[in-house]
Amino acid sequence: MAKKCTLLLIILLLAVIGLAPVVSMFIKSFFVDGELSFKNYQILFQSKRQWSLLSHSLGLACATTFITVLLGLALGTVFAKTDLPFKKLFIVLFVIPLVIPSYILAVAWFYFLGRDGILAGLLGAKIGAITSRFLFSFAGTLFVMVSTLLPIVIILTITYLRMVNPRLEEAGKLYAGWPVVLRKISIPIVMPGVFLAGLIVFILTLGEFGVPLSLRFEVFPIESFIQFSAFYNFNAATASAIPLGLITCIVLIVERIFLRKKTFQFRTVEQEPTIIVPLGKMKPFFFVAVSVLAFIFVTIPIAVLLIKSFSLSSYGEALARGRDAIFRSLIYASIGATCLVVLGFFLGYVLERKALRFSFVADSLAIFLFALPSTVIGIGLISLWNTRATNFIYASMAIILFGYIAQYTALSERIMAATFSQIPRSMEEAAQIAGAGWFRRLFSVLVPQAKYGIVAAWLVGFIFCLKDLGITMIVYPPAHNTLPVHIFTLMANSPEQVIAALCVIMVVITCLPLGVLTMVTKYMG
Amino acid sequence: MILKIDNLYKSYDTITAINGISLNIEKGERVVILGPSGCGKTTLLRIIAGFIQPDKGVVTVDTVTVAANGKCLVESENRNIGMVFQDLALWPHMSVYRNLEFGLKARKIPKKERAGRIDQILAKMQMKQYENSSPSDLSGGQQQRVALARALVSQPKILLMDEPLSNLDLDLNLLLRKEILRLQQDLNITMLYVTHDRDEAFSLATRIIVMSHGKIQKVGNAQEVSQYLSGLSRTHKTDWKCADDSDIIVDR
Amino acid sequence: MKKALIIALITVSVISFLGSSCRRDVSPETKEVVAYVSEDQVFSEPVLKDFERETGIKVKAVYDTEETKSTGAMNRLIAEKNNPQADIYWANEPIRAVVLKQKGISTPYFSPNAEGIPSVFKDFEGYWTGFSARARVLVVSNEAKPPRSILDYTNEVWRNRSVIANPLFGTTTSWVAALFTIWGDDKAKEFMEKMKNNGVKISTSNGESTILVANKEFAFSLVDSDDATNAIRDGKPVRQIYPDQEEGQLGCLILPNAAVLIKGGPNPENGKKLIDYLLSAETERKLAFADCAQIPLHKGVDTPVDVKKIEDIKTMDIDYETVAKKLQGIQGYLKEWSGY
Repeated sequence: MAKKCTLLLIILLLAVIGLAPVVSMFIKSFFVDGELSFKNYQILFQSKRQWSLLSHSLGLACATTFITVLLGLALGTVFAKTDLPFKKLFIVLFVIPLVIPSYILAVAWFYFLGRDGILAGLLGAKIGAITSRFLFSFAGTLFVMVSTLLPIVIILTITYLRMVNPRLEEAGKLYAGWPVVLRKISIPIVMPGVFLAGLIVFILTLGEFGVPLSLRFEVFPIESFIQFSAFYNFNAATASAIPLGLITCIVLIVERIFLRKKTFQFRTVEQEPTIIVPLGKMKPFFFVAVSVLAFIFVTIPIAVLLIKSFSLSSYGEALARGRDAIFRSLIYASIGATCLVVLGFFLGYVLERKALRFSFVADSLAIFLFALPSTVIGIGLISLWNTRATNFIYASMAIILFGYIAQYTALSERIMAATFSQIPRSMEEAAQIAGAGWFRRLFSVLVPQAKYGIVAAWLVGFIFCLKDLGITMIVYPPAHNTLPVHIFTLMANSPEQVIAALCVIMVVITCLPLGVLTMVTKYMG
Repeated sequence: MILKIDNLYKSYDTITAINGISLNIEKGERVVILGPSGCGKTTLLRIIAGFIQPDKGVVTVDTVTVAANGKCLVESENRNIGMVFQDLALWPHMSVYRNLEFGLKARKIPKKERAGRIDQILAKMQMKQYENSSPSDLSGGQQQRVALARALVSQPKILLMDEPLSNLDLDLNLLLRKEILRLQQDLNITMLYVTHDRDEAFSLATRIIVMSHGKIQKVGNAQEVSQYLSGLSRTHKTDWKCADDSDIIVDR
Repeated sequence: MKKALIIALITVSVISFLGSSCRRDVSPETKEVVAYVSEDQVFSEPVLKDFERETGIKVKAVYDTEETKSTGAMNRLIAEKNNPQADIYWANEPIRAVVLKQKGISTPYFSPNAEGIPSVFKDFEGYWTGFSARARVLVVSNEAKPPRSILDYTNEVWRNRSVIANPLFGTTTSWVAALFTIWGDDKAKEFMEKMKNNGVKISTSNGESTILVANKEFAFSLVDSDDATNAIRDGKPVRQIYPDQEEGQLGCLILPNAAVLIKGGPNPENGKKLIDYLLSAETERKLAFADCAQIPLHKGVDTPVDVKKIEDIKTMDIDYETVAKKLQGIQGYLKEWSGY
């Protein structure tokens, strides 16, 4: 009873917070000048240009997904399973691009690869022309998107590989060396996790317009953005956003078919440590390869930002201007991440344990919301919650949290679902037979077993909430801005050094809690 | 001599898992290591398999030194050893057929021969009709058979078995014990079997090694060991307490 | 059941806690004012801080980003129409202010400080008042014979050497709409097509156009006067030319900031006080001397040497309300022209 009530309540919460605003926007998209009409959709579907833009977006999304999954899987495997030196440092390094707003990353690369950039300064104008042409093209956009989203695949690969039952690997090791065991046993077992990572990357790339816009690569989400930003036409903007949601639903269906049978329970009861594969003679080679990748994807843009911000006074100014925003960012992101974990916990339970009929509905809802442009969700939130009766929510930080929940619940839900798939139902059943009610079973049996997943979900939620711009921009109560918003509002005509300094500060404030949490989890064992 | 272990030591932090063990095993023997849980017998198996290395001592498989004084000289995959794990460790993403095929493919056995061997062993196990099933679709006993088949299909020099029947009910346990015996005699394979159950030991072994506190306490046939254990249970039961305070099952 | 009750209790307390950080108070007038600001934060924030200091009224601001980076203040104002959160809107050009008037989001206010501002830069019904303007000027790389008119965008001499910011966003949109109102649709479209055929490059913003010209990648661009002045103050090798200043020529487009009082805002009286402050000669003086280098509309305001006085500029003869209406009408055409 308690179980069903709680789960239904959680789903209702997601529906109210996330779905209702979007539904109200969706309904309005069928109105033009106050009259019921399909015009917004007609214009959209009949435009050759829109189809061409959509194919651009799909191409970019597919290419980005392919490359990040390949590279991320390889790197994640090396980090999770081998004795590569300075592993932890590498992991933190590779996570950094995820933390920086992707637009800023594009700007950093522009400073480096632009016609007048740092590289051109070092190697000459001819090289500058070539690198500039590379950057302002599909290839350049792809490159920046890969560097931003690679960390997602790495993090999830590490999390999942650490959950593989070592016995399965040892059984393979009786017959084949580690490369074969990893390739044929460890990695196929974590395929559901890898697919999840790919899905997230696909959705995020599909909905991205900031990077392509600044790199002159035309993509589909720009249409929705233009309708909002240039024409203030919310209805047409929503109509333009719906195809993104539809495509994502199609991908979800593909996922369901592909992964239907593949939920493996891999770990046994005892928490045995992951087997670490010694790299032996290959160690220097791997170290160099990983270092080169880290240099390209991380060190260069960070170095550019550091160079641009190079003066204590710019940091002083940045801190002075941004102190409150920094503080607020940390608080909102922490609370947001916690809310996401709570919701994700229950929704993941519903999904994985099939605790309710049509459990996939809640999952589809969460993923659909994740795929929608933040502006649609933001404007929907305003139209729903900005009333006198609900002003106490709208005019407080609660509205920002609602935005986070609407947009990012899918992440924590899927991570928790994957975590629960590792925990045999028999554990809960044993507690149930012993007389424990549902909540007691959850907290004494499931939560301790799921602690790594909970931490991973919290971290991912924290990163996404911290760097969120789209939703926060639309709904934050006056004088309650966050650091990304602050960076963007200052970008117009602020000295470059201060902007760069703020970005560096943003990286630091994201990594500090991550560092603390890593130490805490280490302590927890 | 198929397996020779010389003066083996292995410690983890403050716990000494193996405290100076030497033993020889001849081809075709069925050796059972009997001892309570946590007394080093699984560690011994894992050292022989090559998953962990001894701190001191030498392990020789079929005249080849595979490990000596902390160094692994021959990797697990090259020792030609088969193992049935306690939790079976069947690969969930592969069918029964593929589970068996994995090792043969890794050893580059040609396709026709692979198919032949797999068919043969599945027939012996009476599992032919399940070759395309997923392990999760099988019952406990069926999974056991598959695990055993997988260990045997690559024709290993030694078959290691780590308490493979401990999770089964009595009837199934007895049934599978008979099958293991039959197979071992059929294939004349050298078997090193680990258990804490006296009945299993007595019914399977040509030679029993009693272990506790990381040391070999007694070596002998069923009768000799039985007498030894009875003597202990009368006077020194407490000596059998090991790292996890569990008792050897002396009486059922 | 008990657990569900406890959870419900916790939820309610959390909501109450969050609600306690709520901005909108029940009491009629507080010591605060809420301003949505489209003028760059770097320039507007100091003015608002000065207001705070001088009046003791706290300013809670929502700032905007460049249009091409994200949606912002205008969208919020429109979405919040039924329950306004803002008291005033500081628009960075009057077309937005007109849009708000059309959508019934603003309310009239005739500030005493608006007296000195020419009526062409005010809404005659009081829905918005202009101040501290920018001019649409040509920023020119050091050329021997520089362009002096917007018609140079169609001049063969400058083929593939000109750049303009995306006309879907910002002040460039207003400029194109202004041309449409002056020339009529046909002539304006002809101009746009000719400009395109003459190889004009489209940049993402006036700022970027200025950088491209300063880096000598292009010969000239039509940008806002603050972008050009800034580049010159930064020592970049460019000049600023007010286009079409000769007799019989078009004149250059002036785009003032606009102060708008929001209908139904929480602190209307404080909102009026803030508008009065923004429209004062002193604020105009500050904005003229700041790096935004904006042109005061009050006569006789002290300005730095490189900021022209409004009376010295031949301005484009337009009505902002007409321009705003025209803008909405040509949006489809602009989208097509920009390639979207």
